Amino acid sequence: MTTDVGASTHIDHDFEMVRTEKLVKSFGTNTVLNGVDFTVKKGQAVVVIGPSGSGKTTLLRCLNHLEKIDSGRIYINGQLVGYRERNGKLVEETEVNIARMRAQIGFVFQRFNLFAHMTALQNIIEAPIHVLGVPHEQAVAQARELLAKVGLADKENAFPHRLSGGQQQRVAIARALAMSPDLMLFDEATSALDPELVGEVLKVMRDLAEEGMTMVAVTHEMGFARDVADHVVFMDKAQIVEQGSSEQIFEYAENPRTREFLNRFLQ
Amino acid sequence: MFRWDQVWYYLFQDPHLYFLQAAWLTLWISVAAQSIGVVLGLFLALMRMSRFAFLRGPAGVYLWFFRGSPLLVQVLLLWAGLPKVSDILLPAWACILVSFSLNEGAYMSEIIRAAIGSVDAGQTEAAQALGMRYSLAMRRIVLPQAMRVVIPPLGNEFNNMMKTTSIASVIGLMELTGRAQELGAQAFTTFELLIVATVYYLILTTIWEFVQRWIENKFNPDKMNVEVATEKGTMARMLGFGRPYMGK
Repeated sequence: MTTDVGASTHIDHDFEMVRTEKLVKSFGTNTVLNGVDFTVKKGQAVVVIGPSGSGKTTLLRCLNHLEKIDSGRIYINGQLVGYRERNGKLVEETEVNIARMRAQIGFVFQRFNLFAHMTALQNIIEAPIHVLGVPHEQAVAQARELLAKVGLADKENAFPHRLSGGQQQRVAIARALAMSPDLMLFDEATSALDPELVGEVLKVMRDLAEEGMTMVAVTHEMGFARDVADHVVFMDKAQIVEQGSSEQIFEYAENPRTREFLNRFLQ
Repeated sequence: MFRWDQVWYYLFQDPHLYFLQAAWLTLWISVAAQSIGVVLGLFLALMRMSRFAFLRGPAGVYLWFFRGSPLLVQVLLLWAGLPKVSDILLPAWACILVSFSLNEGAYMSEIIRAAIGSVDAGQTEAAQALGMRYSLAMRRIVLPQAMRVVIPPLGNEFNNMMKTTSIASVIGLMELTGRAQELGAQAFTTFELLIVATVYYLILTTIWEFVQRWIENKFNPDKMNVEVATEKGTMARMLGFGRPYMGK
């Protein structure tokens, strides 16, 4: 297993935004993460690929404590996520501290999860106003900028059910960005979309990566992984099997499981 | 002999407005008991969904009692039983209001709990991922959406409530049924006056039907007024009408 992440391309600072150590997570008797060591450096765009059920999504959900972990450690910005250490044991953090930690991490869901009773604009200003205490006018101004950025300036008054899947996902990305996160997590952000709508969402993600946003994307879009990722992680059977630059993974994968998986996609 | 003149008299000519006053009593007790019941039901529902057993337990016992015994018995327990075990003697209207509210709370809590459960779990997750605490996510994201689901059964409950107030006549409260029986007993025209009471009940429930349809329309997301939705206060967002948000 390669754990060296120094191969990333244009990142000059080595600050670790995300670090997991021996992460273990199981649902009942089914172990979905079996000792995962995973690192993301500041400014990196990391893409996690792998077959269904390999633990990619669970890994992502553990990073902002949407899932509890069984053992191991997760550090984001150098801080332990979701737990505090007491006599070498993990004790779950208080709700306030978990919420505070999550406010710094953007999460984009496969099924968008826009607030159904709010317009696009309301969706975006909700958390800045009620979590961060941003004044209303300022939140609205910022939301309009973000909507313009994701190409939906004309949709601010639309309710989610009146938007296409691609539009909804772009609003969801804007909603996450409104919190000015240090890190963005994308959980199969395009998997629920009609094929012709995938591109518009990937473009927004690509722009973000180019701006230097630190991000982790779980995806089945191999083109995106190849073109955008600074670092690609291949997971299978609850473990990281291989990782490296996109060139290393897509051209010179060493592990037979990686090659087999990619062959299925890249024919 | 059926006395139509009595029906006519109490519907249109009664200078004392006996039935109109009785209808007013029926209406305000229904509105008050239903409102208290909704608030109570909300707290009970949240208690039942709590992760703390010391909140779940009492709420469960409450529901078990109030859904498991007849409303009439609960009314009589308050009316006849309470003075026996304490110095408290509630007036008839208070007895009715308290027992109806407590009883309604039990039923509303089940309706609200189901409505909260019907809101997609992804909504809570999205709220939490944005840094909202459970209470904030509940108040801002889940409950407003649950309200839409609550409206139709709530309409049913209120319709039922207005008719069930007839139980109040048992302890001598002069709401519609009580009034009909009292006046009817004096002139042997109970049947006639029950017809009058029925007319009033039908008027009340018919008006409510229109009100309910109007509220449901307000809640229909397809017809929601976008202008209002963009700039409105908490009540307006939850109910679809109310004072708009004016900013600072």
